[in-house]
Amino acid sequence: MSTLHLRVEPRDGEPFRHEVRGDAVVLGRSSKADIVLADRFLSRQHARLVLREGSWFLEDLGSRNTTFLNDRPVAQPMPVRPGDVIRLAESRIVIAEAGDELPAQSAGDGLTGDTDERLPESTVFRSAGDLLAGPAAGGGLAAHMRLINEVHRALAAPITLEALLDLILERVFVQLQPEEGAVFLRDEKGELKRAALRRAHGITGEPLYSRRLAQEVTEKGVAALVTDASADARFAKAESILFSGVRSLLAAPLLDSEGCLGMIVLSAKSRQHPFQEDDLELLMALASAAALRLRNIALAEETARRRLLDRELDLAHDIQMAMLPKAFPHLGGIDVSAVLRPARSVGGDLYDVMADGERVWLLVGDVSGKGVGAALFMAVTKTLFRAIAPGSASVAEAVARMNRELARDNDRAMFVTVFAARLDLATGELEYVNAGHNPTYRLESGGGVTPLPGPVDPALGAVDMHAYRGSRLRLAPRDALLLYTDGVIEARSASEEEFCTQRLESYLLACGEASAQLIVQGLLEKLDDFVGDAPQYDDVTILALRFLGPS
Amino acid sequence: MEIGEERTAGVLVIAPVGRVDSVSSSELERHVVARLDAGERRVVIDMAGVEYISSAGLRVLLIAAKRLKPPAGSLVLCGLGPAVRTVLELAGFISLFAVEPARAQALARLEAKTSS
Repeated sequence: MSTLHLRVEPRDGEPFRHEVRGDAVVLGRSSKADIVLADRFLSRQHARLVLREGSWFLEDLGSRNTTFLNDRPVAQPMPVRPGDVIRLAESRIVIAEAGDELPAQSAGDGLTGDTDERLPESTVFRSAGDLLAGPAAGGGLAAHMRLINEVHRALAAPITLEALLDLILERVFVQLQPEEGAVFLRDEKGELKRAALRRAHGITGEPLYSRRLAQEVTEKGVAALVTDASADARFAKAESILFSGVRSLLAAPLLDSEGCLGMIVLSAKSRQHPFQEDDLELLMALASAAALRLRNIALAEETARRRLLDRELDLAHDIQMAMLPKAFPHLGGIDVSAVLRPARSVGGDLYDVMADGERVWLLVGDVSGKGVGAALFMAVTKTLFRAIAPGSASVAEAVARMNRELARDNDRAMFVTVFAARLDLATGELEYVNAGHNPTYRLESGGGVTPLPGPVDPALGAVDMHAYRGSRLRLAPRDALLLYTDGVIEARSASEEEFCTQRLESYLLACGEASAQLIVQGLLEKLDDFVGDAPQYDDVTILALRFLGPS
Repeated sequence: MEIGEERTAGVLVIAPVGRVDSVSSSELERHVVARLDAGERRVVIDMAGVEYISSAGLRVLLIAAKRLKPPAGSLVLCGLGPAVRTVLELAGFISLFAVEPARAQALARLEAKTSS
């Protein structure tokens, strides 16, 4: 090591690098010194680094405030090696190595180095459990208890994540006087990211911590104590810690019963004494108190996010439900009841009942897919029906117009199956179109239950130009209709059995001349009994109408 | 779901295998759309390996049919099992597609179209 590389950290001012090309360099306050340090407690010519027989030595030049090498006063020339820290009054000079141009670049997470990097020999790992269980040794016990008590009290109050991390670091700084402290937390992907950083007054630069150390601490859940990194020759190359002159380091995992949330790490460069084991105990106690609270805050934030989303969906649910008519008091000559039960907050089923002079329009539909997309398509379908149906010459014409509107610019090929009908209240004549939907049942007053005959045309939205075919039949007084979506017949029991048309038909046969409301509620109860505790897979819509006779 | 492919005389055969439900249909959709974007104009979708198709799966067939509407292109479905055929019929879609019993007939139909 003939060329000497220094990182100079003046008391005031930014740190800089210096490469010594000659065989001696004088450090001091005087402008005649080779490295001038503006520090009023320095002697004019304070210390000197000299090259002797291929090795560099540090000697004090009779300074008033002495020179320290790794916190030991320099009485006689002492050899220096990479990682050593020279302290002159309040300025520091770190001996670097030629290759160490700059501290290794961090990936932005505050960590550096490889996970197979070796750790200093003085590294001691202690299990978190042992540290928390063992009674604190030494005279610092009372002070430690006070600190822990204080932090516990502070943690009991409502606090944000940032404020919590700041609080922990602040208390730790008061008690343990590190020069740098950082909290690392796992992000959603489980990767450690620095979440908070605190530095003692006058400390500059960004501390980077060994990725290897972080891995040991967080994955094994152990606390680590490095008493003297510089004493380990192998570790001299581990620039992650050593380059910034760190000698002593404490790290504790943020552990709770569910695992490790991250770690807190403290480091000291020129601290008078390296960290001790009871410092580690204290840090561990604080870390575990903090971890509990961190988990609570994370859960609370997650809950708040979910609550916001739930509120949005609740609102969408309410808007969707408000689009469906609930009561039909203005319609004479018929008895109508309907229900729509979405499988999720919002769904793609729809129904409508609409008076149009002496006639009444009916619609039940089911949009392909589920969720918000289906709900929007449902709303559009319902709106189109309201706009187009009244005044249309026939049901087939109304459905064809709805289809043209829904198919326009429908690149995703969303579609909605519908059963649309118009009943003449004076005559009982029913005109209807089935666009890819489940057939409607007719409950004859005499007791028969039959699906309405007729062609099935394509569901709406699938193809832009298509003719729809209407069918007609005349309802007798007291006849009823049952319109539904496939959520009814495809409802699944806990044993994955489907409700099927057979069960639906036998239920309808038993209905007799029950009111529309009884038919609907009775079917819902049948479904509930059948499904039991199994989840609801699909939206369920049921609409019953009984024709009471010419008005 | 697996998606098999075969090319004969300028006709691309796409053969999905398995269930085409709300999850796997997006995979089939990406596959079909990528082929159409690449310029395929004569396509057979062989459904012989499909045991179930949901409404989301029907959407994929509709997207293909829309983009291959004559004269821009042509699409033939084949190999419809009873379950798939029933779903297409219930949605009223069976009339929207050119359907052949098996791949050989589907290819013959498209090749005849070319020579005419």
